[in-house]
Amino acid sequence: MADEASLFQDISDAVVAMDEERVVDLVRAVIEKKIDVYEAIEKGLSHGMERAGQLFEEEEYFVPELLICSDAMYAGLDLLRPYLKRSDEGSKHKVVIGVIEGDTHDIGKNLVKIMLETAGFELHDLGRDVPAPRFVEKAREVDADIIAISTLMTTTMDGMAEVIRLLREANIRDRLKVIVGGGPVSQGFADRIGANGYAANAGAAVKLARRLLDGETVHAG
Amino acid sequence: MLDKMSPLGRLDAYGKGENIDRLPCVPIVGNTAARVIGVKVSELRNNGPSLAEAQVEAYRLFGYDTIRIFTDLYVQAEAMGARVVKPSDETAYLDAPAITDASQIERLRPADPAHDGCLPAHLAATRIAVREAGSEVPVTTALTCPFTNASFLIGTENLVRLMYKDPAAVHKLCELSLQTSVAFAEAIMEAGATPSLTDPMSSSTVISPAKFREFSLPYLARLITHLHAAGKKVTLHICGKTDRIWDSMVEAGADCISIDNQIDLGRACVEVGDRVRLMGNVAPSEVMLQGTPDDVRSAVRTCVGKAWRSPKGYIVASGCSLPTETPFTNIHAMMDAVREIGFPVTEEKLREES
Repeated sequence: MADEASLFQDISDAVVAMDEERVVDLVRAVIEKKIDVYEAIEKGLSHGMERAGQLFEEEEYFVPELLICSDAMYAGLDLLRPYLKRSDEGSKHKVVIGVIEGDTHDIGKNLVKIMLETAGFELHDLGRDVPAPRFVEKAREVDADIIAISTLMTTTMDGMAEVIRLLREANIRDRLKVIVGGGPVSQGFADRIGANGYAANAGAAVKLARRLLDGETVHAG
Repeated sequence: MLDKMSPLGRLDAYGKGENIDRLPCVPIVGNTAARVIGVKVSELRNNGPSLAEAQVEAYRLFGYDTIRIFTDLYVQAEAMGARVVKPSDETAYLDAPAITDASQIERLRPADPAHDGCLPAHLAATRIAVREAGSEVPVTTALTCPFTNASFLIGTENLVRLMYKDPAAVHKLCELSLQTSVAFAEAIMEAGATPSLTDPMSSSTVISPAKFREFSLPYLARLITHLHAAGKKVTLHICGKTDRIWDSMVEAGADCISIDNQIDLGRACVEVGDRVRLMGNVAPSEVMLQGTPDDVRSAVRTCVGKAWRSPKGYIVASGCSLPTETPFTNIHAMMDAVREIGFPVTEEKLREES
C-alpha cells in the first residue's frame, strides 16, 4: 500500500512538473503491477491536475503550464482507458460546453473543459462560434446537467442570454444549470441574464459546477 | 460642450506641465467608427478611403485626442498567410493560423506592407487621416506586437506548448513577426503617423511574467527602439492582468502604457507612474457598452481620482478597444465627464455632484 501511495504521489508530481514522459513511465508501472486504475487516476493523474489548477488560480501557473500539465495527464489517461469498465462512464454528470457564436477564442473554454473532465464530468464540446440554439439542442440530446458558455469578446455576450431565453421557451430551463465565463463576463452579468453561476477561471468553474449539483438528485430522463 | 484646445496642442502642453483645458481622453474607438458613417464593419477593412473617413468622422463627432486606424488584430498575420473570417457587419476574426506545425516555419516570410493582405489599405487610410486631420490630432495606426502576431501564425495553443517543447521555434516565429512589425511600423511612420502597439497575448492572463520576459520583451524592446530612433513616443497596450509585467513594459521602452480594467490603476500610479504615462482603465464592456451615461461619468471620475496625480500623467481611456455597438451617448458621456472635471483637477471638483 505504501508503495502504491508513493506511486500515486509520483504520478501527481509528474503531472504538476509537466513531465509527460515520466507520467507515461509511471502509468505503465501501474498497469504492470495491476494496481487499481481508478485509484491511479483519482490519486495520481486527477490529483496532479487539480494541483496544477490550484497553481493556476494562484497565478503560479499560466495557460501554457496548465495546457502542458493536461497533455501529461491525458497521455496517462490514454494508457489507462482500455482498463476502464464501460459501465462506469454512464453515471457521470454531463456538461455541454462551447464558445458562443461570433467568438473564436477557445483557449479559456478548453481549459475549463480539461478541468471539468479531470473532476469527473462528462463533457460534450461544441467548439467555438456556436449558435445559441445548438447549445439547447445538444443539451436535450445528451440530457445535460450543465450548459457552460464562454466568450472572450464583449460583442457576443448577448448570445449567452439568448441560450437562456431558448431554454425557457423550450420549458427546460429548470432542468439544468447554466454557467458562464470569459474575459468580459462578470457575476453581475450572469445574474442579469439569469444564469446559475459565473466562474472567473477554470479552477473556479469546477468548484461552481460541483456546488450547483451538490446535494441535488440528477433528474431522470 | 466644445473644447478650447486641439488634441495636439493639449497633449503637447500636458507633456510640458503647462495649463490645459481638460485631461486628454481617448475612448478607444475601433469598428464603432463604421456606425458613425453608416457602413458595414467589413467595408472598412480593405478600403483605405472608407477606413480613414470612418475614423476621422468618429474623431470629429466625439472630439477625443487620438485617431487610431484599426480594424482588428489580424492584419499582419493575414499578410503572412493566416486565414481571417470577415463577417459582414462584425469584427474580423482568425479562422486558421498560417501554419499548424513548427516544421512549416521555413515557409513563412515577413510581410511586405506595400503589397500583402490589407496592409496597403491600412497605410492608405493612415495617409488620408494624416492629410485630413494630422495638423490637429495625433494619427496612429494599430500595430500587433511580435509575440501576439506569432500566436496567430501558428495558433495560440501550439505557440504556448512550443514555449516549453521547442523554444527556438517560438523565437523564430517572434523574429519573423518582428520583421513584419518593423516593416509595417516604418511604412506607418513614412505615412506620417505613429504606430500604436497592442500585445494582448503577452498579458499575464495568458503567459507568466517569466515567459513574457523570455519570449515577448526582447522583441518589444527591439521594435520600440526602432520607433524611438524615428523620434516617436510609444504607447503599449496589453489587456488583461498586467500588474506583474508593468516593470517589463517600462523596460521595453514604452512611454505610455495602456491598461485595462482588470488591474488597480491606483497601484499602477504608485509602481510605475513616475516612469511612464498611464492610460485606460474604464471598463469597455460593463461600463461603456452596457452602462448608462451616469455609469460612464462615475467610472471616469473614479479613474481620474486614482490617477490624476500620476507623475508622468494620465490619459482617460477605455481599458481596451470599445465593442462595436457601444452607444454613442456613452462615448459622448466619457468626453463630457472629462470636460466637466476640467483642469487642473482638484479633489473638490471630483467630489462635485451635478
